Amino acid sequence: MSEPARESIPPPRPRGFWAEAWNRYRRMPLAMAALIFIGFLAAVALFAPAIAGTKPVICKYKGRLYLPCLAYYNRGWEPVVFARDKFRGEYPANLEAKDPESWAIWPLVFQDPYRAVRRDEWPGLPANPARDQGHPSSRNLFGTTQTGVDVFAKMIHGTTVALLVGFVSMGIAATIGITVGALAGYFGGWLDVVFSRITEVVMCIPPLVLILALLAIVEKPTIWKMMAVLGLTGWTGISRLMRAEFLRLKSAEFVTAARSVGAGPGRIIIRHVLPNALAPVMVPITFGIAAAILTESGLSFLGFGQPPPSASWGSLLNDARSNLKMWWLVAFPGAAIFLTVLAFNLVGEGLQQATDPRLREARK
Amino acid sequence: MIHHLVRRLGLGVVTLLLISFLVYGLIRSIPGTPLTVVVSQTDPSRRLNPADLERMKAAYGLDKPWYQAYFIWLTNVAQGDLGRSISRKAPVTELISKRVGPTLALSTGSLLLTWLLSIPLGIYAAARSGRGDERAVSLVLYMLYSVPTFVAALALQVTFSLWAEGTPWELPLFGMTSGGPHAGTAAWLADVGRHAILPLICQTYVSLAWYTRFINTNLQEVLRQDYIRTARAKGAGTIRVMVHHAFRNTLIPLVTLLGLSLPALLGGSVIIEQIFSWPGMGRLFFESLRERDYPTIMGLTLLFSLLTLAGQLLADLLYAWVDPRVSME
Repeated sequence: MSEPARESIPPPRPRGFWAEAWNRYRRMPLAMAALIFIGFLAAVALFAPAIAGTKPVICKYKGRLYLPCLAYYNRGWEPVVFARDKFRGEYPANLEAKDPESWAIWPLVFQDPYRAVRRDEWPGLPANPARDQGHPSSRNLFGTTQTGVDVFAKMIHGTTVALLVGFVSMGIAATIGITVGALAGYFGGWLDVVFSRITEVVMCIPPLVLILALLAIVEKPTIWKMMAVLGLTGWTGISRLMRAEFLRLKSAEFVTAARSVGAGPGRIIIRHVLPNALAPVMVPITFGIAAAILTESGLSFLGFGQPPPSASWGSLLNDARSNLKMWWLVAFPGAAIFLTVLAFNLVGEGLQQATDPRLREARK
Repeated sequence: MIHHLVRRLGLGVVTLLLISFLVYGLIRSIPGTPLTVVVSQTDPSRRLNPADLERMKAAYGLDKPWYQAYFIWLTNVAQGDLGRSISRKAPVTELISKRVGPTLALSTGSLLLTWLLSIPLGIYAAARSGRGDERAVSLVLYMLYSVPTFVAALALQVTFSLWAEGTPWELPLFGMTSGGPHAGTAAWLADVGRHAILPLICQTYVSLAWYTRFINTNLQEVLRQDYIRTARAKGAGTIRVMVHHAFRNTLIPLVTLLGLSLPALLGGSVIIEQIFSWPGMGRLFFESLRERDYPTIMGLTLLFSLLTLAGQLLADLLYAWVDPRVSME
């Protein structure tokens, strides 16, 4: 969806399908607002370690520049020198003590998503309140959990988890669904019978059994395995829609034309039919992202997610179940899940209205 | 018609066999067995010695490879025997029949409530389409639709535990009864009713939003038809046009939905029953998964898949029945 070309006054060039869809999409205020909100979430997810963390974004230590905040993306990316110099994750005091010449740029909020901040870890900052004492305050914007971990920091880093789960698992599901649906729809025959039966079986198995069994088989459910499992179970709707589109399009005139000039099935599927069948599946894919985020937080909520310490929004809700008086453990992550799901649903709806020719006709 | 039915039933049996085979393989490959999981949870000192464990494994048929055990299970099912629960020491059919009641109470209550509220709401939204009040109602419903059930359930529990305790609004947050002896059936019913309010709200609001939207969209499509204009032209009032002329014609897709809601009716909601400790089918399913209670998981899976397939078939049949233009051939 690129910016549509500026219209020049004499001959108006016909615009492509997506440019026209974008033009219609732009006029829907709610859908646009949702898209902007998702952009904001993506920015938060990307820059999470710079927003909340206890590791400097960038620091000069013993004459060299380091980016310790990368450790939040991947444990292995923490510069080795800090482990060698026995920092043990506590940067402010150690930097000062071991190299008086050092300087650092810190994250906006000095709080860690995985552990409670101790007293005077940051000069003058008291320890995080634990148990049910962690009401939202100016130091802990969204309060703290039973163990004293800052909820705001957890939620910022949870955004990364949520969006990654949504996009990666739906990417996997879309790849499987489009491939299965395209092959079944285009070739038909026994391939269609086999693929349709597989789709139906996957649809009929209770999703909880399928997901839990697959998660249990891979044992330690890291977030990446969770994405793979969600992707492997969430492709059936896309595949059915894709199959129907291919059934409809494979007898279209442009396909016959392509075949008559000698195009092989691979070329016809990828170059001719797929681009025309892609618009309708964009809608379930967008809804699917919302569903994947929902499922991941639901599983974490039931206690089947990534083992602690995890930053998933759902795990915060799980913490709330042991003490219902800690309302901030429900209100903030609950609102985050709700708004994210709502935004993706609104974008899906907008996409549907912008790309569906039937709805376009109806509004004239 | 008969030919179509036979074909569908045949395909359904094949699908059921495939599903049960796959699920059996899947649950047997989850680490832990019903014997080890339950015992290690209760008390480490009571852990079985290896000889006893082997004997019990043999007694429950767990010593065989899973595909053999599957065929034994399948032959038993074909003879109408779903087996005995390993962790609860009772026949699976007995366990299920105990849990069906609570689930049905919630799901039928929720379905009734949904229909009672969504039909008038949907008609209202279609009649006032595009006006300010309709937009507000639709937006609220749309937002409700995006609230995850577990968030809503927790939010309700938090709200009631924080602000309603000690007030007349206080509602029980967990379980189906307060326990203890009840003075007669009426008192028992009242107690269950009070416990059911919060779960019922949680189970209803999503479907309410969805159904209202569904009715609204369908009605709007019908309202563009010529016969509606004719009815208006001959002087029929708004209410008569909406109810008598338009709504009756949206019943077709609505009836289809009824078929598709069959599995949810008996299956219950795992999350709602789990949060509110409601002793229904969804909770039984969750518990049996955790206890690795293979016979119960298999019995429930079979039931759920059967209901899903039956629901799809029922939807198609109902569709052909209410709309004479559709034929089953």
